[in-house]
Amino acid sequence: MSDPKIEGYQLKPGFSGMAADTGSDQTMFKGVHWGKAMMWIFLLSDTFVFSCFLISYMKGRGSTPVEWPNPSEVFALNAFGVPVPLLLIAIMTFVLITSSGTMALAVKYGYEKNRKMCGWLVLATAIGGLTFVGMQAFEWSKLIHEGVRPWENPFGAAQFGSFFFMITGFHGTHVSIGVIFLFIYAYKVFAGHYDERKRGWFTSMRGDYVEIEILGLYWHFVDLVWVFIFAFFYLW
Amino acid sequence: MEDTKKKEQASTHKIGIYLWIWGLLFVLSFFSYLVDWYQFQGMLRWSLILIFMFLKAGLIMAFFMHLFWERYALVNVLLWPMTAIACFIFLMVAEFEYTLFSRIFYFVVGG
Amino acid sequence: MSDEINDNKTIQAQSSEVMTGGSAGATPDMDYVRPAEIPEQDLYHAHSFITKWVFCQDAKVIGVQYFLLATFTGIVGLILSWLMRLQLGFPGLAGFMTAEHYYQFVTMHGMIMVVYFLTALFLGGFGNYLIPLMVGARDMVFPYVNMLSFWMFFVAVAVLMASFFVPGGPTGAGWTLYPPQTILEGTPGSGMGILLMLISLSLFVIGFTMGGLNYMITVLQARTRGMTLMRMPLTVWGIFTATILAMLAFPALLVSAIMMTLDKVLGTSFFMPTILKAGEVLEYGGGSPILFQHLFWFFGHPEVYIVALPAFGIVSDLISVHARKNIFGYRMMVWAIVGIGALSFFVWAHHMYVSGMNPWFGFFFATTTLIIAVPTAMKVYNWILTLWRGNIRLNTVMLWCLGFIVTFVNGGITGIFLGNVSVDVPLSDTYFVIAHFHMVMGIAPLMVIMGAVYHWFPLVAGRFLDEKLGKWHFWLTFLGAYSIYFPMHYLGFIGVPRRYFEMYDSPYMTSAVGMNEFISTAAFIVGAAQFILIYNIIKTLKTGKAAPKNPWSANSLEWFTSTVPPGHGNFGDRLPVVHRWPYDFSVPGAKDDFIPQTTPPSEVVHTEVEKT
Repeated sequence: MSDPKIEGYQLKPGFSGMAADTGSDQTMFKGVHWGKAMMWIFLLSDTFVFSCFLISYMKGRGSTPVEWPNPSEVFALNAFGVPVPLLLIAIMTFVLITSSGTMALAVKYGYEKNRKMCGWLVLATAIGGLTFVGMQAFEWSKLIHEGVRPWENPFGAAQFGSFFFMITGFHGTHVSIGVIFLFIYAYKVFAGHYDERKRGWFTSMRGDYVEIEILGLYWHFVDLVWVFIFAFFYLW
Repeated sequence: MEDTKKKEQASTHKIGIYLWIWGLLFVLSFFSYLVDWYQFQGMLRWSLILIFMFLKAGLIMAFFMHLFWERYALVNVLLWPMTAIACFIFLMVAEFEYTLFSRIFYFVVGG
Repeated sequence: MSDEINDNKTIQAQSSEVMTGGSAGATPDMDYVRPAEIPEQDLYHAHSFITKWVFCQDAKVIGVQYFLLATFTGIVGLILSWLMRLQLGFPGLAGFMTAEHYYQFVTMHGMIMVVYFLTALFLGGFGNYLIPLMVGARDMVFPYVNMLSFWMFFVAVAVLMASFFVPGGPTGAGWTLYPPQTILEGTPGSGMGILLMLISLSLFVIGFTMGGLNYMITVLQARTRGMTLMRMPLTVWGIFTATILAMLAFPALLVSAIMMTLDKVLGTSFFMPTILKAGEVLEYGGGSPILFQHLFWFFGHPEVYIVALPAFGIVSDLISVHARKNIFGYRMMVWAIVGIGALSFFVWAHHMYVSGMNPWFGFFFATTTLIIAVPTAMKVYNWILTLWRGNIRLNTVMLWCLGFIVTFVNGGITGIFLGNVSVDVPLSDTYFVIAHFHMVMGIAPLMVIMGAVYHWFPLVAGRFLDEKLGKWHFWLTFLGAYSIYFPMHYLGFIGVPRRYFEMYDSPYMTSAVGMNEFISTAAFIVGAAQFILIYNIIKTLKTGKAAPKNPWSANSLEWFTSTVPPGHGNFGDRLPVVHRWPYDFSVPGAKDDFIPQTTPPSEVVHTEVEKT
């Protein structure tokens, strides 16, 4: 997280520190756990996946001469008989940001080796994620009910449905995978695997609370992608 | 002794910072929702959307993902590849404009 | 279990002096290397046959597994190319060969060779075997994920091969899989074939991501004491940079594969414009075929360098060892590799000059393409200058390296032709392009692979490959490859189009027919010559000359393992400590003509070598 203490190596701040770290032996990212470095690089790769999706969406939407559906009308929800634009999306965003916050706190308590607090917060994050997936399923079924299909829709350009289902579906898959892992890790925290530094089920690496931070990175990334999807799909 | 104490404090940040960022994210999301609520159009809408989006993304990356506290070696490795994405976006903007132009052009003029 | 391995922390440094900053700097004791940052890796110790040889977590075994499977797919690709050349040289000789078959073979040959053969062989094969050994690690950092990576690749290959046996056969859309024709009826394999291809590619990307994360983190975070980035062998630099490219470029392939799968299965129109077929409008409409081309080449161009960069790295090491000279301009070589890697993301649309993209793009991409030739040319100069006045051993390894330089320069120069829009427009879609990319990313990397096999076989198997057979193998391949591809440039200039099943009575035919027969004959011979290597390997494993430790007098760490071939955990009880770069050959004043990386300055006799 922040500057570690390394025997025989003096950490320098800023860009001169970057040069020194890069030029040093053994590790380039000083004090960064292997798993954490791996997760960052994976997220970089995943960023490229989502960027390619969104760039395709931009190209598809930009080059179609057919009217693009107005998202604020398409995604409106009736509340007490009044159509409120983007109501469901606003709630989904709220839920996801909430879960991101609980995750950040879980990481903090994990580093403080506060097993109970960390476990409950991871569990809360998982439940938040589950709620999000549930609401996305509701949103999908509502749109399908209104006649939106991946290959056509009643509101305008056919690509609208295609991109919508594909990109939110891909994001939803990420959330679902995250939720599964959150539940597993909540169990592992409660069972005390990290306090005892127990080995993983498949690997011979010892458990450590840093794994909560690694999971947290993934979860925040999912939130991050949602920020972009929210801006480009629902608001633009 | 004091040094190690300081280290520990640095590695687990105070809860306040997380709550602050959390609150800010809600506020920014609310603002971007308002952009739609008030139906701003055109440049104003797009720039507001982008500003709020990048602010939110920046806050999440910097504080929730701890990038603000990471050493520059890691931050640099993560941010430089984005230039390739930026180039891709920039060129695809030019490309979709050209595709749209040729579609309309040949629709009007005829193949 | 794994707790038995001694903790590296017990190895005390010889000096208690605390160093400031980075690597071996100016400290009183020149031999001082600061203590280990990371505790010893917990290794998984396999006991059963299955965990030792099948679902193995040892990077070396995984590397060999990758190597064997990639070689198998490569042989399939080779047989496909024979069938193609049979048709082109002697039309009608193979009775079963229809136009549909021809296109399927072309497609599968291209895809297999680029992705499933070269990429898997360089990164999966050499990467797995050499990275941990060369940076002084016990294994890859995530052995379990590494194992999954290979088996994902295995499934990808199985799915790909399955497409030969489904109704309609494999896809015949060309390896670039351009829509809309790829998924429309009338293209061979537009049913199950293309679907399996897309699934297989997605699996490959997922599997590769698992492996790639391993290679990157091993290089970045698991080097041994004293091993700075600028002391890594260029082999590691090449594979490492290629892995970065792959991690960032494969996403575009994955995305385009997903989108095309949806176009095919769900009937979306991401890439499908409005299409009139026999007077009827198909249900597709509004999509953008050019988007696919951009996505594909955003992957496809870095892919070229994913194949080329490991070859650059490996050949640098081979040349240096066998010319007994340090590599000329090591830092320049490293920066050239990194620079080529970075630039490769900004040149992709030079494959698309004739596609109907925004006409302004031609200028941008021609410029970036010509810029990328600069670091590439620097590398070639440095190889030549490494050879210059070197103490060259003209053995099989060196022959392959020299062959590489020649073919690479040849293919590189035609690449400059094709990078210019005005020259590319008449030449694109002719045999000139075929000749160019086979020279530069087919034959040239293949030469390096062969050189690397002859070089590292004593390490892997503990025996020397037969030199005589090796020289036959080289000369047949080298001369044969030139006989195939050199005339193709000429065919391209006279305008013979690529991807044609048969020329029929076109005016090209009269002047191209003899040439085509000649090329085909050469292709059969070159293909057959590759089996010399397989024979050589089998023969060597049985009766080959046993290799001593470090048989080539090389400096890099892989030759200094406790046993040959290296065993589980690579380095015995203690990890090596590195004091210098791996290129201290023929150092004036030194006792031997090589100083291994592990030799501390105080143990070098009469050294005048500068610190690196």
